[in-house]
Amino acid sequence: MSSTKPNDNTGQSPRRNMITCRGVKKWFGDFQALKGVDLDVGEQEVVVVLGPSGSGKSTLIRCINRLEVHQEGIIEVDGVELTNDLRNIEKIRSEVGMVFQLFNLFPHLSVLDNITLGPIWVRKKARVEAEKTAMELLERVGIPEQAAKFPGQLSGGQQQRVAIARALAMEPKIMLFDEPTSALDPEMIAEVLDVMRDLARRGMTMVIVTHEMGFAREVADRLVFMESGEIVEVGTTEQFFSAPREERTKKFLSQIL
Amino acid sequence: MHQRPPIWRNVAVLKWLAQFAVLFTVLGLFWLLASEAQENLQRRGIPAGYNWLSGPANFQLGEGIQTVDSPERRLTMSRALWVGMVNTLRVAAIGIVLSTILGVFIGVSRLSKNFIANRFASAFVETMRNIPLLVQILFWFVILGSLAPLAADSGPIPGWLIVSQKGISIPRVFLADGFYQFVAMLVVFAVPLWFIRRTLKRRQDDLGGNQRVTSTTVAYLSVSTLVAWFLNPVMGFLGGVLDSVATAWNAIPAQIIRGLFGVLIIWFAGARIRSLLNSRRTPVGFAKLTDNDWFQMLFTAFAAGVAALVVVRFRPGITTWFVESVGNFWSFLGAKFGDGRGAQPIDAMLPTLTEGRFINISNTGLTMSVFFASLLFGLVFYTSSYIAEVVRGGILAVPRGQSEAALALGFTRGQMLRKVVLPQAFRVIMPPLGNQYLNITKNTSLGIAVGFSEIVQVGQTVYNKNSQTLAVFSIYIAFFLLCSLSISAVVNTINRRLAIVER
Repeated sequence: MSSTKPNDNTGQSPRRNMITCRGVKKWFGDFQALKGVDLDVGEQEVVVVLGPSGSGKSTLIRCINRLEVHQEGIIEVDGVELTNDLRNIEKIRSEVGMVFQLFNLFPHLSVLDNITLGPIWVRKKARVEAEKTAMELLERVGIPEQAAKFPGQLSGGQQQRVAIARALAMEPKIMLFDEPTSALDPEMIAEVLDVMRDLARRGMTMVIVTHEMGFAREVADRLVFMESGEIVEVGTTEQFFSAPREERTKKFLSQIL
Repeated sequence: MHQRPPIWRNVAVLKWLAQFAVLFTVLGLFWLLASEAQENLQRRGIPAGYNWLSGPANFQLGEGIQTVDSPERRLTMSRALWVGMVNTLRVAAIGIVLSTILGVFIGVSRLSKNFIANRFASAFVETMRNIPLLVQILFWFVILGSLAPLAADSGPIPGWLIVSQKGISIPRVFLADGFYQFVAMLVVFAVPLWFIRRTLKRRQDDLGGNQRVTSTTVAYLSVSTLVAWFLNPVMGFLGGVLDSVATAWNAIPAQIIRGLFGVLIIWFAGARIRSLLNSRRTPVGFAKLTDNDWFQMLFTAFAAGVAALVVVRFRPGITTWFVESVGNFWSFLGAKFGDGRGAQPIDAMLPTLTEGRFINISNTGLTMSVFFASLLFGLVFYTSSYIAEVVRGGILAVPRGQSEAALALGFTRGQMLRKVVLPQAFRVIMPPLGNQYLNITKNTSLGIAVGFSEIVQVGQTVYNKNSQTLAVFSIYIAFFLLCSLSISAVVNTINRRLAIVER
């Protein structure tokens, strides 16, 4: 399957494809969560996925690193197709960083150990080197002084920043964000969004599920609007907010803006 | 300067007074009951106290480290009770190990997606925990009792595995003459291993990749075990060394040790008081002490003073006993080494039969009597069903997000379990697991139902003979309290070590 299939209504840039989804379908029992999703994400592109709750946004990005298994269709990540091949799955997972709504830090490990666990055990890095990288990342997300603390001792915003650092420590090519600010107090949302903004500036390929419209407008290259398991509309940020094509998109935007 | 409340309204004072009042009331009640009972016993011509313990037992025990009285080895009452305690501890220890293994296995199977494993485990748990333990023990007793009588060709595998009315016997592996020399040699070999491991671990941290920490350790251990197996007589000289240690120890006058004990108790109390003072120190440098702190310090000092007086002045026997035991321990160890001793550290033996019974325990395979077996089986199957649920609950208590986060980092399933899920599950499992260990230990007393010679059964025989009910029960209580508190202490220490830092 060609990974650069042109798609006239996606407003897609001519960059190399990092993620390719073709006709992805997913059922939970009788309920169909994804009804044939087509999506391309290019290198260094930031794609924000919008939509009401239950529309399949989270399911889609969880399928991209196979935390959920899609039943039909094709997902390719960096040219590797996601199948039941264990080696492919672990390779893709170690190259795709994921940030969760509820942080999911390991509570029994210190902040530093949380960040170095993956590099040491998956990447087989030396501890000294992994810790050096971890400290640099903590510096970057602005909380180097918390390295020795445990997750339970940090605020929500700090925990989410550690979670981002943990994902970055694996040197991923793609970062997936599953509603990273939904569990945070308003004053903590800003500090997390700052870190993500910085990431986008450095050219990270990102897929973000969020409800932060201002942030989406500012950072996204393209916006994807999903409803009941389908992609309703894809467009550049400009066009999406000023001239949405679909009726359903207009309705959603009018409710939310 | 804040105003001190008057003493009858001071919470700290009232709290401590109330605690003392409760303590003294309870002790007083006990004393009252005990003296009342004592008086009644005396009226019936039964002497008070524990002097009967050194008298002859005049009865036989079903099984244990000593069962009969003989001229060279007297079976006193205290010895009989000790045999009972050893039997209890034996069942409890083996039961704890086996039910943990079985329980973990069943608990994990119950979580498995494999249909057969899952259903089998569920059926096991639901059956075992819904039948009273006593019924289960009696059930095993009836089943084992209905087996074929013991004969020369008893099977299933004659000479190797024997299952019969008289019990179950398998080949026994035991520590032979060279064992202590063997262990001593391994200890000597362990020192370089420690250095090698430290160097390798540092290299692992510095360089990454695979520096073969585990494989080197395994290789080193196998080689040193092999060497020690054949060369252990070299360590025979330790016998002489230990004997001279024993002589040197016995040369120390008991008064000095007694004095040291007194000093140690006072020093310990001092250290506690000092650490309390330190913990109350504020950054400004002033120790802010509450009334509660004062009470605690006074109480510690008072208790230490009493303890020191008891050890040094009123009960000099405690120290003498300690000195003698330690001396005996050194000579006991010394006797385990010797130049003329055989080199084999471990030996094995098959079950041997004479005249339709298993011969004496030291000359045969590992034999379980039906009494022991039925108690053990009952305890293991019953308790493992609870342990299975504890394990299952502990693993389920780790949120799904944890394993998802680990998988998202590219961990394999094995790494995810080892590094993320099990460390967290273990913290949840440990406290209720400790409870189950306590239950096994206490439930061994049901052995009385099948006539197994554990402490309660032996004690009953004792008080049926001499009517020393009160004294025997006080021994029961002290023994079980000691067991339970030891287990709790171990479990609590582990819990404290593992606790997750929350704030």
